[in-house]
Amino acid sequence: MIAIGKREFISMFKSIKSIIIIAILLITSYYSAKYSEILATAIALTEKEMANIHTVGLLFVLMFFGQLFVMGLSHDSINKESHERTMRFLVTRTSRLRILFGKFAGAWFFWFASILVSFLLISIFSLKFDFFIFSQVIALSTFQISLAILMSVVVPKPSITMFLGILIGLLAPILGAWIALTDNTWISWLKFASPYYYLVEDNYLFLIIFCLAGLMLAAAATIFNRREF
Amino acid sequence: MKAIETRFLNKTYGSTPVVDGINLIVEEGEIFGFLGRNGAGKSTFINMLTGITLPTSGSFSLLGVDGPSERIKKHIGVMPDYSTLFNSMSAMKHLKFLSSLSGRSVSVAECQHVLKLVGLEEAGKKKVSKFSFGMKKKLGIAQAIIHDPSLIFLDEPTSGLDAESALHIHKLIVSLQQQGKTVFMTSHNLDEVEKICSTIAIMKDGGIIKSGTMDELRSYYRSAITVQLKHDPIPAGEAQKLYAWLETAGTELQKTPAFTTITVGSELKIAEIIRAFTNCHVNIFRVEVNEPSLEEMFLAE
Repeated sequence: MIAIGKREFISMFKSIKSIIIIAILLITSYYSAKYSEILATAIALTEKEMANIHTVGLLFVLMFFGQLFVMGLSHDSINKESHERTMRFLVTRTSRLRILFGKFAGAWFFWFASILVSFLLISIFSLKFDFFIFSQVIALSTFQISLAILMSVVVPKPSITMFLGILIGLLAPILGAWIALTDNTWISWLKFASPYYYLVEDNYLFLIIFCLAGLMLAAAATIFNRREF
Repeated sequence: MKAIETRFLNKTYGSTPVVDGINLIVEEGEIFGFLGRNGAGKSTFINMLTGITLPTSGSFSLLGVDGPSERIKKHIGVMPDYSTLFNSMSAMKHLKFLSSLSGRSVSVAECQHVLKLVGLEEAGKKKVSKFSFGMKKKLGIAQAIIHDPSLIFLDEPTSGLDAESALHIHKLIVSLQQQGKTVFMTSHNLDEVEKICSTIAIMKDGGIIKSGTMDELRSYYRSAITVQLKHDPIPAGEAQKLYAWLETAGTELQKTPAFTTITVGSELKIAEIIRAFTNCHVNIFRVEVNEPSLEEMFLAE
């Protein structure tokens, strides 16, 4: 698992897509934190919002584009190996669960490292490191990575997951926000399956997001164990 | 100990059985050749044993461990068919990565040694994307043996290789057997199988139609031993009697003044034929005995 995770982690840093995404995160974090005081004077904010003003830019990017970024990098993490038949080398050497969780771990550490650096950059301006928001963001990323892995297991063709990834990446935050906030009783029950619902309130309900991610990974593992290469 | 044992192993796609209830035993230390025409089910059979595909029914064990089992994977090496290697890696990294997956970290020297064994000693740092087909094939074999497995599956190891490289790989396979390893290989090259395999199975339509050592297979097909004798001309008075006897002794009798060729069903007949010639006062200069080749046996099926 470690070998697969390490390979996944390193290969993610090597692609041009990941370099662009890291650049977007870092530039957004830097400039939004640097000029957050201007934003604070322009609009009326609560005391709590004022306290988190430095992270607002990064949170905006991750909430609205995070899923798109994750899908962009991980939509083919499993099915590319199957499609190119390199998966045959992996499944003859180690367990399928180790392959799946190795891939997940590699992607998770990539996002953990990228977000951590972004938060450290913000902390230069805010003079504090907000562990609570950082944990919320990590929970959201965990959900997004699990969704990408599940999709990559379910759909065998990388070209289709690329298309679906863009679609889900664009629609997920919009639908997620709508489901989390709507009063429509036919729709609102879906909010319990949406990570955004658990991020609306500043409490530890966001930990449920990890459970949702776990469920998706369990589903992915079940399907992956029955796959043929 | 049995290296491989399958019990009614079956694989069905839809309603079509691709592997149809195979029972097979491969003893440890053998080079086992698995033959069959395209689509016979050879690769599917290997893929089930190595965890690439899942059996529909039946069971198997590898090195005494019931499969599919994760703990046996570190003891087997696999060169699957139609596999693409990791193009972005060098040959060396390839071996190190795949070996680490098997739970064994190998040194640069070990990688170099295995690359040398397959004839890729100069290509360790070269990216796999720049490899020719033959080089990829060799690297495929190298990755199957890098972690020192006890049981090695090679799916058509020499197809697409030039004669010299193929010979090199044959020697490697034999040396693996001499180290006590079991090699299970498929091949379309019947000469190759005949030359290096100790036991053979012929597969057809998802089932094994014949299996055994080369000698066992030959005895099954023994009706095809061809004997050719070079001799003095047979005296006119003896010819009719001798040829009449030869026609009862074998089949496909061909006669010229200096040569007689006959196909017999048993080795014992060869001595009788020679005796018949000498009794007729005919000098024999040469006796050639051609046993059925694997190709002939294979084509007979």
